[in-house]
Amino acid sequence: MMLYQTKRIVTLLLSLQVTCIVFMWTLDALNQISEAIFALFLAVDLISFAMMSYIYRVDKLDEVPRRIWIIIGCIVVLVLVISSLIIQ
Amino acid sequence: MAEQGNESEQGTSGKKEKNTANSSRLTRLVSWFDSRLGLSYPLLRPAPEYAINPFYWLGALTVVAFVIQGITGMIMMLYYVPSPTDAYLSTEYIFQSVPYGRFLETVHLYTAYAMIMLAFMHMMRGYFVSVHKKPREAMWITGMVMGFVTLGFGFTGYLLPWTVVSKSATDVGIGMISALPGPVSNLLNFLIVGAGGDATELLRFYDLHVVVLPAILLILLAVKMYMLEAHGISEPITGGELAPKQKRTLPIFPDVSLYLLELAAIFGSGMLLISAAFPLNLPPQYTPQLAAQTTPQPDWYFLWIYQILKISVFEGAGLPVALSLVTLIFIVLILLPFIDSGPRKRISQRPIFVTLGAIFIAELVTLAYWGLVTPGQIIPVEQAALVLGGVALIVSFTSLGLFKLINSRARSKLPTVNVSKIRRVEIWNGIMFTALAGFGALTIGESLDSGVRLIIKGPNLSSLVYFVFSFTTLAICVLATTYFIYRSDLRMGTIKRRVRMFEIGWRDEKVGKQQ
Repeated sequence: MMLYQTKRIVTLLLSLQVTCIVFMWTLDALNQISEAIFALFLAVDLISFAMMSYIYRVDKLDEVPRRIWIIIGCIVVLVLVISSLIIQ
Repeated sequence: MAEQGNESEQGTSGKKEKNTANSSRLTRLVSWFDSRLGLSYPLLRPAPEYAINPFYWLGALTVVAFVIQGITGMIMMLYYVPSPTDAYLSTEYIFQSVPYGRFLETVHLYTAYAMIMLAFMHMMRGYFVSVHKKPREAMWITGMVMGFVTLGFGFTGYLLPWTVVSKSATDVGIGMISALPGPVSNLLNFLIVGAGGDATELLRFYDLHVVVLPAILLILLAVKMYMLEAHGISEPITGGELAPKQKRTLPIFPDVSLYLLELAAIFGSGMLLISAAFPLNLPPQYTPQLAAQTTPQPDWYFLWIYQILKISVFEGAGLPVALSLVTLIFIVLILLPFIDSGPRKRISQRPIFVTLGAIFIAELVTLAYWGLVTPGQIIPVEQAALVLGGVALIVSFTSLGLFKLINSRARSKLPTVNVSKIRRVEIWNGIMFTALAGFGALTIGESLDSGVRLIIKGPNLSSLVYFVFSFTTLAICVLATTYFIYRSDLRMGTIKRRVRMFEIGWRDEKVGKQQ
């Protein structure tokens, strides 16, 4: 059951990454605020990648991913996305 | 109910099958890459599970920072022009007209800072956990040279934007070359400055920054990686046997590689967030007129050297002495495996070297901060002795106190000692050592100050009274410390030879049971 949940999180994270990348292409690259938003979305992408990698790695070792890391990762991603929307 | 239960079971098993199918698809994808690229072939030895810890990968993160530097630097190279007339303009162009140009510059700068900080943390961690000891002496020396190359990156890169701050500070640095011994000075002048004035200087710095130093660093990295493969990752110094799970090894691909990628992603996102929060602003362009009004100040990683050079005794004729002192520090760091070569590796067994390491860090931080807040000011020698001596004393006292605590904790494992009593002693030790550290720092500072005043101003009543008073307080502090250490040892029952002079007013029933 836990494994199933983590896979769902991976799917969510992948969707988030794709959305971020698409959004980054729409930014004005010469604007200073856009630079900040670009950095925030790129950070979201990287943290999502780190979480996916963690889930895959731990799953491969037949262990259960620690819930605390996934919760922390999700909170960070959420804070970054909200911050970028506020800045915008 | 039973049907519902069956449906639920079927649903769960369906999910499991789906999950297994997903998992096998992912595994197939990984295998596809592995079979084509040969990633899991045993080129690199597997890593032990205890190495899945960020502190083991500080060096790897330094390399990640170097890679980010390389990528951002290569993009900036497309626009940068290394000539005194165009360097600033091209940097300004990157800031204003290149897509995400300011962001690139900011990331490049902050990652450079992170690279230096990570290299320093890597070195100090290695020092404290004794990785420099046999058989890894050559790895330590290679790492130290890599550290100097990293500082070289900072020194050469600082000049490139050709701002008034960077050019003035670099000129001060170059000016010091003449104070070095003849052959060294000539060689450095030939290599770094050349004979063509500003244009040659900038071009040399640019070449060093983008070609020579990266090439040297990559060669040294390859040498260090080779030695790492030969010796393996150092074992944690636990003092006991490792758990079977910790001894288990993991293949470099995909397990360890993925772990490294996770760390790199977290590090990269941290750098991005810092760059977004504190975007870089370009200081004014260098002109000789503006430079005359500016106080040159190096970047933070050279501030400690800058502050040493500002001590009054090292001004003018004393400059070679200061440079020799800095060189000596570097030589000691390089030769450390042969200085601290004893077999003991655990922190609790190396009180002197651990305390020296802590003093080294505290002095560097103090000097750097002091240099930052006193740009261009000459520091009187007695003030320097007061501050640096005080810091050394505080750290020594604190370190001694911590070692007392560690040792008393180790003794608490003895069956004959009352554990609750030991806890009380630990708290008492902590309070007393903190108080003594503060008092000791004050008294040593006062004593130094009074001694210097007596020498400079000559013996008069006020300076003599001050001198006697400060040395009396210092003597009281030393006596109090000795008495306190003796008393705590007596209470713990670990005294080997009793000194009755220190036992005035001490009741025998307080003495530890082991006596």
